[in-house]
Amino acid sequence: MIVVTEKCVGCATCMLVCPSRAIKVEGKAEVIQEKCEKCKKCLNYCPVEAIKWVE
Amino acid sequence: MRVAVVGAGLGGLLAAANLLERGYKVDVFEKLPFNGGRFTNFHYKGYEISTGALHMIPHGSKGPLAKMLRKVGAKVEIVDSKPNGTALYRGEEIKVSKKTFPLKSRLKFALYCLKNVFREVKLSELEKNLDEFSAKFLRAFLGWSLSLTPSQLSLSDVYPIYEATYTLGGPGIPIGGCKAVVDALLEVMESYDCRVKREKVRAIRMESYGLSLHFRNTSERFDAVVSDAGPVETYRLAGLNVPKLEESRGIKYSIALKEPLIDHTGVMFTLDTRRICGVNQVTNADPNLGERHFLMAHQPMITSNVKFEIAEGLKDLKEILKGYEYEVLVIQSFSDGWPVNRARAGRDCSNETPVKGLYMVGDGAKGEDIEVDGIAIGIERVVKEIEKEVEKR
Ligand SMILES: Cc1cc2nc3c(=O)[nH]c(=O)nc-3n(C[C@H](O)[C@H](O)[C@H](O)COP(=O)(O)OP(=O)(O)OC[C@H]3O[C@@H](n4cnc5c(N)ncnc54)[C@H](O)[C@@H]3O)c2cc1C
Ligand code: SF4
Ligand code: SF4
Repeated sequence: MIVVTEKCVGCATCMLVCPSRAIKVEGKAEVIQEKCEKCKKCLNYCPVEAIKWVE
Repeated sequence: MRVAVVGAGLGGLLAAANLLERGYKVDVFEKLPFNGGRFTNFHYKGYEISTGALHMIPHGSKGPLAKMLRKVGAKVEIVDSKPNGTALYRGEEIKVSKKTFPLKSRLKFALYCLKNVFREVKLSELEKNLDEFSAKFLRAFLGWSLSLTPSQLSLSDVYPIYEATYTLGGPGIPIGGCKAVVDALLEVMESYDCRVKREKVRAIRMESYGLSLHFRNTSERFDAVVSDAGPVETYRLAGLNVPKLEESRGIKYSIALKEPLIDHTGVMFTLDTRRICGVNQVTNADPNLGERHFLMAHQPMITSNVKFEIAEGLKDLKEILKGYEYEVLVIQSFSDGWPVNRARAGRDCSNETPVKGLYMVGDGAKGEDIEVDGIAIGIERVVKEIEKEVEKR
């Protein structure tokens, strides 16, 4: 599962690159788990390493 | 001479292109899967949404960045703003020139400059003595261009910027947005057979001869290292005591508009607002930046409560865009590891570090100008320093 940690600054880079439009950002990123395809793109693109993968 | 560049943000790419042009062998390392850092765009819902910048080059085609791009052979077309700026004040859009400000306030400014010769006086002191329009304009201008308020700045912090704006003129928009600048630089680098390597630099160490960069499993030797990772990260990588730096924080709104709000390519400063300091409609300069009219609004972060700041900003937008059909496409906030500016205006670190051969570029080590134009000035210095070193050998 994709999890957004406290480090998130709300820059929305993850939202811009998510192919399934599964992320909403307003101050902080929120993942809509039902829409998430678990491709991990957001995790790689986050500039501050705020996204973690939790089994 | 082998030089490593840490980070492929605008600062890193611009440094690399300059060094390649002088004949050095350059390797660029970037930890993220994309280039350009806070100065590039992603296509989103029909709009070129930038990762940071407002698609503006502070002094347009006449500034230090444009000059440097021409020198390294990076082909970017920049549309200079006409007019430089307007102000939305009491529901009316006013053209801004020197004469827009009452004579009395202009005299107050001269007096304020004089006072600063003897002691440092905050800009909020000046603000108090101005007429309402001038005071609100000062606040909006600083908020838009620096993400700071008058009480956070004194004259010496902003005077170089004021002077540069006076002599070089106002902003311009690159055709294709921020990414066009990045792509043009990558093309220059490619012509020297230099491509960005996707590696996170984990440490920078001084060796008996030169410096070494350390990656997950390997390390490599270089004669010099130019870091675009920002002063905090660079010092940490080099094992030095991290400098205390005050950053500037802000929030940017990307908005799709059915009907245009402004009819020019400059900034419209918004004076009667809680937070939003200005808007620009970049599709006026390059229609390909968005399917419809593409408006960007920017505000500094006054409190540390991001949700509250955004709520205030959205209230402002509702008022500014009253009667317009619009959609807020993206709200982006910038702080900490990904701020508007790594160092507040006038507080940049030196391009040199305590480690011989390790230099810094980018927005924590700018020269005497703002944003990407300041970055270009900083890079010019680093290139000169490296050339001096080479001559010594
Ligand atoms: C909302 C907003 C609006 C702005 N508007 C404008 C504007 O209109 N005009 C303007 O001129 N400026 C503007 N700016 C400022 C401008 O975006 C920045 O000054 C500029 O992009 C900074 O570039 P940089 O190269 O210094 O840093 P960055 O873009 O942050 O690049 C640094 C790069 O280094 C990489 N890196 C970091 N650590 C490592 C490591 N250990 N190993 C490998 N790579 C690493 C990062 O991933 C990143 O790609 C704005 C900024 C924001 C946030
Ligand atoms: S990219 Fe990272 S910091 Fe930016 S909004 Fe997404 S999770 Fe937060
Ligand atoms: S893992 Fe992929 S689909 Fe899921 S939120 Fe991240 S980018 Fe979107």
